[in-house]
Amino acid sequence: MRRRRGELLTALPFLLPAYALFLLFLVWPALEALWLSLHRENLFGRGREWVGLGNFQEVLARPEFWKSALLTLKFALVVAPLELVLGLLAALLVYRPYPGVAFFRTLFFLTTAVPTAVAAVAWGWFLHPVGGWANRALAGLGLPPQPWLTSPDLALYTLGVITAWSGVGFTAILLTAGLQNIPEEVLEAATVDGASPWTRFFRITLPLLSPTLFLVGLLVVLKSLTAFGQIHLLTRGGPAESTMVWIYRVYQDAFFNFQVPLAAAEAFLLFLVLLLLAALQFWLLGRRVHYAA
Amino acid sequence: MRLRKLLPTYLMASAYAFLLVLPLFTLLSASLRAEGDLYAPGPLEPYREALSRYPLPRFLLNSLLVSVAVTLGVLATSLLAAYALTRLRFRGREALFGLAVALLLVPGEVTFLPLYLLVDRLGWLDTYAALTVPFLASPLGVFLLRQYLRTLPEDYFDAARIDGATHWQVLRHVALPLSAPALGALAALTFIGTWNMYLWPLVVTKSREMQTAQIAVNFILNEEVARWNVVAAGAILVLLPTLIAFLLAQRAFVRGIALGGLKG
Amino acid sequence: MGVQGFFLAKAGLLAALLLGTAQAQRITVEFWHSMGGVLGEATEALVKEFNASQSRVQVKAQYVGSYDDGINKLLAALRAGRGFPHVIQVYDIGARIMADSGAVVPLEDLARKNGFDLDHLLPQPRNYYTVDGKLFGLPFNSSNPILYFNMAAFQEAGVPFKPTWSLKDLEEAARKLTKKDAQGRTVRYGLSIPIDSWFVEQISYNSGEYFCNNENGRRARATAVAFDNPAAVAFLDTYARLVREGVAANTGRNWADSQSLFAQGQAAIASYSTASLTGVLRQVGNRFPVRTAYYPYLKERNGVAIGGAALYVLKGFSEAETQGAWEFVRFLLEPRTQAKWHLATGYFPVVKGVTELPEVRQAHVRQPNYTTAIQQLATSKVNNASAGCLMGAFPEIRQYVQAAWEEILKGKPAQEALKEAKAKADAALERYNRSVAGR
Repeated sequence: MRRRRGELLTALPFLLPAYALFLLFLVWPALEALWLSLHRENLFGRGREWVGLGNFQEVLARPEFWKSALLTLKFALVVAPLELVLGLLAALLVYRPYPGVAFFRTLFFLTTAVPTAVAAVAWGWFLHPVGGWANRALAGLGLPPQPWLTSPDLALYTLGVITAWSGVGFTAILLTAGLQNIPEEVLEAATVDGASPWTRFFRITLPLLSPTLFLVGLLVVLKSLTAFGQIHLLTRGGPAESTMVWIYRVYQDAFFNFQVPLAAAEAFLLFLVLLLLAALQFWLLGRRVHYAA
Repeated sequence: MRLRKLLPTYLMASAYAFLLVLPLFTLLSASLRAEGDLYAPGPLEPYREALSRYPLPRFLLNSLLVSVAVTLGVLATSLLAAYALTRLRFRGREALFGLAVALLLVPGEVTFLPLYLLVDRLGWLDTYAALTVPFLASPLGVFLLRQYLRTLPEDYFDAARIDGATHWQVLRHVALPLSAPALGALAALTFIGTWNMYLWPLVVTKSREMQTAQIAVNFILNEEVARWNVVAAGAILVLLPTLIAFLLAQRAFVRGIALGGLKG
Repeated sequence: MGVQGFFLAKAGLLAALLLGTAQAQRITVEFWHSMGGVLGEATEALVKEFNASQSRVQVKAQYVGSYDDGINKLLAALRAGRGFPHVIQVYDIGARIMADSGAVVPLEDLARKNGFDLDHLLPQPRNYYTVDGKLFGLPFNSSNPILYFNMAAFQEAGVPFKPTWSLKDLEEAARKLTKKDAQGRTVRYGLSIPIDSWFVEQISYNSGEYFCNNENGRRARATAVAFDNPAAVAFLDTYARLVREGVAANTGRNWADSQSLFAQGQAAIASYSTASLTGVLRQVGNRFPVRTAYYPYLKERNGVAIGGAALYVLKGFSEAETQGAWEFVRFLLEPRTQAKWHLATGYFPVVKGVTELPEVRQAHVRQPNYTTAIQQLATSKVNNASAGCLMGAFPEIRQYVQAAWEEILKGKPAQEALKEAKAKADAALERYNRSVAGR
């Protein structure tokens, strides 16, 4: 009997603080938000009536929603490769010890310490149409200034770059650790066998790094799907709704259009997508680990 | 390693570092210019303005208090839970862990409104309680520490148990010191993450006295129409604490993140 | 102790009683506002003065962020049923929402109860916030759109100043004022207007058109938008044309970016609110002289609607507290107070009798630009077009208009973009009206 329950009783006081807080401040509000998404009410919170999946149907029927979903996908496709490639490059430059590596490491990992609001302001100024260095540099080269954040064609990509910049420090840290975990002997053996640096990289390093790359990649994608601060501070979903990604639409619907139940439905759908991606990660990773072992 | 072989590395690394830090650098330079010169190519006046027109010290203090409180809370609750999830056996253990992971994915914008109503019902609006208590436990914390604890050799723990230690004692004398890197990383992450919170403090605080540093940046940005030097000064001041925290904790941070985040 | 002692004790007791009751009677009125920067300082000054002028009511002012933040906080508080303030500042486009909320004590009722004659108010601000025949809010910071001119540029290009401008005149002047370099790149733009639905609304009103149906929602509740009117179409098409020619600058939605351009002398004509006056003058410094003129119209000038925000007194408090809130509002309506507010900010006074005050006259002589909005208002026709549109879902609808403007700048014809926006706007409006119907 005792064996079956295991050590649950002993475990309780350890689990309680964290899980009680989770229950009260995460699970309960999430459930209440879900409950809200099954109703309709006016912006004053009155006239609440049950509509079942009505809000979900409405959300899925709106072209703007699909536009936002597409924008979110585009955004992730900009951020993820950029962050991974740059992070990998950075990691390759600093994973081995050499004089001065600590200095470079600090700089490369620095962006982790920059809060979103500060990053947004820094880039906002950097890309400022009149005084920003980016356009001044272009002008110096005789090129026309670019409307980085005010053009519907550019804004999303600009924000993608900013988001990648913010996250590249963290990615670099993880990839550095990943590279450091690759046993030196394998690489040395390959060098002895006459393999060139390129071959070593593509045939040995990369495959051995791939579980880490995969994990980091998925983390990056998940993060990019919920990027909010920089969009709010720099473009507010514009111009011409070109940066109205999923999560920003949720915010917009909740706080500008005062359509809280609808926003709750949109948010829940986003949550489902995130859940799916995470489940995918665990399943695929599980299989890989199997292989590696 | 021979320096000649390192030269390309140094070159590339320097180039990358320069480009990476550039936006922050321009922010710093903007913060040191007088207003008229913003658009042309003088010093601390913008800082004085940022500090005098806005209760920045108070904002910074609030952020500091809240971030420290939440960090300590997260460290404690996560270590406790992670210990139970790795060193104790009971039914539903994996399910509970799965719950923590699933909670990682719930975006704040979903739960904000019901959470606000709950906090209001508790009478915590415009208090430190609202800014801290809901975040004293973090799914990320539980995830990271559990992953990390799993990589520690069982022997240390078993040895202590055989010697007759209670779980509390094992936690204190074995798990705690051994998890130092992961705890350091989590502390840095949580501190920065809490410092970074934006939407929530905006919503639950009313009075100037209670508002946090991120709101200050938004606030200054909205108020100081086109006076980027003051905005920049404010932003730099808000950046400094996390920057310093990062620099101090960097090594532990890096080790902990990598170790915790990578295994399975 | 003796008789003296007894008297002292009694006096002391009486004093304590009086003091105690006086303190007990000091009512706290919570006031949420969205005035930051210069405007915030002016607001705080008024509050301080009110508190010092009497001992019954103590107003506690809170800056709750932007108008959007403020109204969101309010709606959240209303849902919770508690935590809302006695007085709150809500933007102009929130007029219908506030009236529908059922949470407001109409100013009309308070005025009648306290014997305040609402005819003291200027007609336009009063009309704007009058819903279903009742004045709901106090038009606290009321503004108009006006044109800002870089007179040095005007002189250089030989363009004469005049107070009223048709859209066509503006286009011609902007072309003359544009300066390009040898490679054809614009060195000085002729025109800069931020992408804000407000300007589209105002050109409609000023040209005698409506922005929403049922005569701007004034005759009956608005059920559809009317922003695909000729004035709006012409305005947007013209602006897009000028941007393509490099005559007008597209600085996006941010007013600050457009204002920097103007202040640096890189845009000869701009349009902002009269409330921006103090800020713009400060930014320009003594780079060039600035003059202001009335907002343009399509064919014939009708009149602009007011913008800004109003103060609302909320229900749910004791008689004494609501009375205290009214006293604060009453204080703000006094000509002397309005004068101070006007001169510190650029918003125009909403009550009669302010412009004649000596301090106001003198200030106007020193800086005549402050009178432009006042005169524009005084010479505007008072009708439902210039009353401004009253409709729910306004904040959302503004987003659609702004997105349409951006599409038009990308090349879509205005008629088409506005038609698409109208479809979305009508849907939003219908949703809103449905949701408040069963209230």
